[in-house]
Amino acid sequence: MGEEKVLSLSNLVMRYPNKQVLNGINLDVYPGQIIGYIGPNGAGKSTTIKIILGLVSGYEGTVEIFGKNIATGGHDYKRRIGYVPENADVYDQLTAMEYLAFVGELYGMKREHAAEKANQMLAAFDLEERAHARASSFSKGMRQKVLIISSLLHDPDLIFLDEPLSGLDANSVMIVKELLEKLAERGKTIFYSSHIMDVVEKISNRIVLLTDGHIAADGTFEELRKESKEGSLEGIFNQLTGFVGHEETAISIADLITGAAAYGE
Amino acid sequence: MENDFRSLKLLDHLQFVFRKLGINYPVMRKILEMKLTMDQRRVPTIFSGNASEKKEGNQFVKSLWIYALYGIILIFFIFIGDNYMFQLGIIFGISMFILMTSLISDFSTVLLDVRDKTILHTKPVDDRTINAAKIVHLTLYMLMMTGAFLGIPAIVMLIYHGVGYFLLFLVSTVWMILFIIALTALVYIFILRHFNGDKLQDIINYVQIILSICLVIGYQVAIRVFDFVDLDIVYHFSWWHVFLPPIWFAAPFELILHHNTAVSTIVLSIIALLLPLIAIYLYYRLMPAFERNLEKLLDQTAMGKEKKRPFVAMWEKLLCRSNVERAYFRLAYILMGEERDFKLKVYPSLGIAMVFPFIFIFSQTQSFAEVSKGNGYFNIYLALLFIGVTVSMLRFSSKYKAAWILHAAPVEDVTKSYSAALKAMLIKLLLPIFMLIAVVFILIFSVRIIPDMLIVGTVAVPQTLISYKLLKGEDFPFSEKFEATS
Repeated sequence: MGEEKVLSLSNLVMRYPNKQVLNGINLDVYPGQIIGYIGPNGAGKSTTIKIILGLVSGYEGTVEIFGKNIATGGHDYKRRIGYVPENADVYDQLTAMEYLAFVGELYGMKREHAAEKANQMLAAFDLEERAHARASSFSKGMRQKVLIISSLLHDPDLIFLDEPLSGLDANSVMIVKELLEKLAERGKTIFYSSHIMDVVEKISNRIVLLTDGHIAADGTFEELRKESKEGSLEGIFNQLTGFVGHEETAISIADLITGAAAYGE
Repeated sequence: MENDFRSLKLLDHLQFVFRKLGINYPVMRKILEMKLTMDQRRVPTIFSGNASEKKEGNQFVKSLWIYALYGIILIFFIFIGDNYMFQLGIIFGISMFILMTSLISDFSTVLLDVRDKTILHTKPVDDRTINAAKIVHLTLYMLMMTGAFLGIPAIVMLIYHGVGYFLLFLVSTVWMILFIIALTALVYIFILRHFNGDKLQDIINYVQIILSICLVIGYQVAIRVFDFVDLDIVYHFSWWHVFLPPIWFAAPFELILHHNTAVSTIVLSIIALLLPLIAIYLYYRLMPAFERNLEKLLDQTAMGKEKKRPFVAMWEKLLCRSNVERAYFRLAYILMGEERDFKLKVYPSLGIAMVFPFIFIFSQTQSFAEVSKGNGYFNIYLALLFIGVTVSMLRFSSKYKAAWILHAAPVEDVTKSYSAALKAMLIKLLLPIFMLIAVVFILIFSVRIIPDMLIVGTVAVPQTLISYKLLKGEDFPFSEKFEATS
């Protein structure tokens, strides 16, 4: 792949006062990739993303986006990034349309343009009727749709999604999965973070597994499978993160439940 | 929960009543214990002005002292006039206002707790027990609040007016409490039936704001009212008094203690006796419908029409240069109008800012002609006092977590976002209040003060900027949690 690197992390290290979160991450990402970015809780996934988005400072190493070091290049690079954090809040005193127009403007769009595009995207996600209702009255799934729209409205080239499907109904899940593929075909790069391995396995054309602040595996699903001899991404994940004995744990919990009931009688 | 509640121990003595009514007393007690524990971690509105740090213990019980303090104001009315209609009309009027607004602002959470639906109604507990817990919970608080508020006045009554008056007052008060609880619930039932949950929340929010304003203004007025001690008012019945609940409760005093057997007195006394009972009965009958309508608080089907905001569109074009600044202006403008927590913290001081200039002018013992020739219009500066508070509140939002978008977006200029927010504040909050006062002042003091008004208006801008400088807002506006500091 001789194309321009979209994102390049080299020797990325992040320390908090009592803990080292990232122990030297090296990663090069190219256009059209859908990266399944996985790892156990606390492995440093969201810290990486927050560093890239400039939400966290005080890291060591370099982060280059579209060939520019983000520490020195100003914040303009964010115009080309879309971001859906996990369980994100929105200013839900605003209506869906008002919020989307606001976000669009923050990303440098003209309000009329942002509003019109938002309206069409809301319609595409079957939310047209609720466009002018306060977001506080939205269900989790509707809010998630608004978040997804807000991250894509300005046509970003690099998209970070953290559990983007949570709360969505089955139909919308299919739309979003398909949408990500189409966007990748058009040269967009997608970072897809999730704990649901089946989805990551199907969606991604490259998987990066993070444990204890370093990259434990990096490659296509096929490559990882050959290496680990596990059949599913879930199996690979368990193997690489060194987790064994889920069955024993489950059995002991089940014992607690039924045992307690016996005492209660 | 190792809390021992004295109120619950007292209740234990009455448990036979609940058992008779087919209520599962141990379960009801458990629910109440949980509710009271949660209440210990809540701050009532009457306190919210200076809730600077987290305090331990039931804030409500501590706020009772404030009710007791406000109750002292009532003592004054015990001594005025010989006519009970007037005397008690005022006492019941003030009591009803304070108790009802407090009930709405602090106990709406009890009446409208939707969590009960998912937490309690899904468990093997019968509805009767859950509803009983709700009513007992509410009654406990109303009793404490009324006790604190009317306790001292009641003792003064006992000494000054004798036992008969005192006992009649106790009975009327209990009747009044029943009426207030039932009336509040019925109003909620009505609102929930015809509007959505959002509207109800808005109404509660405004009642809270009005309560805060009235407490401050009431205090100012009460100090000055002592100048009119010699007022001698003769009560005349008019037909519309039938619609004034405080008058109903005053009527039995005239009837029984003054043997005033005018038809109007008898009719009002009968109303006082019957209407609370009818209201309670209605409440009891409508309770199931009420519980069903509570679902609306979780309503997720509101459609909403597009809100055209022509004023914002005009002002942002006039005042903001860049797109981003315009976006912030609009965000700030909308949040200041829609966010309930923000309104609760800021709008009371707006109301006070609006009223104080007038109180200060007319508390001087001058005739209107004298006032209009004087320089009392300088009092308009009092209206600018709220700017400091409001600017410091711009940092906060109940949705402070939503500020992630401000950090993620390609905008790093905190100053610009603040300048937009400050402009929005001047337009949305200061301008209407200032214009209103200025117009009334010009009517009072004649057009000669127009230049002065213009100067005061201009002064507001540097004052806002200085307030902002003192605040040193380092993060974006609306990005901090309300509780942290205030």
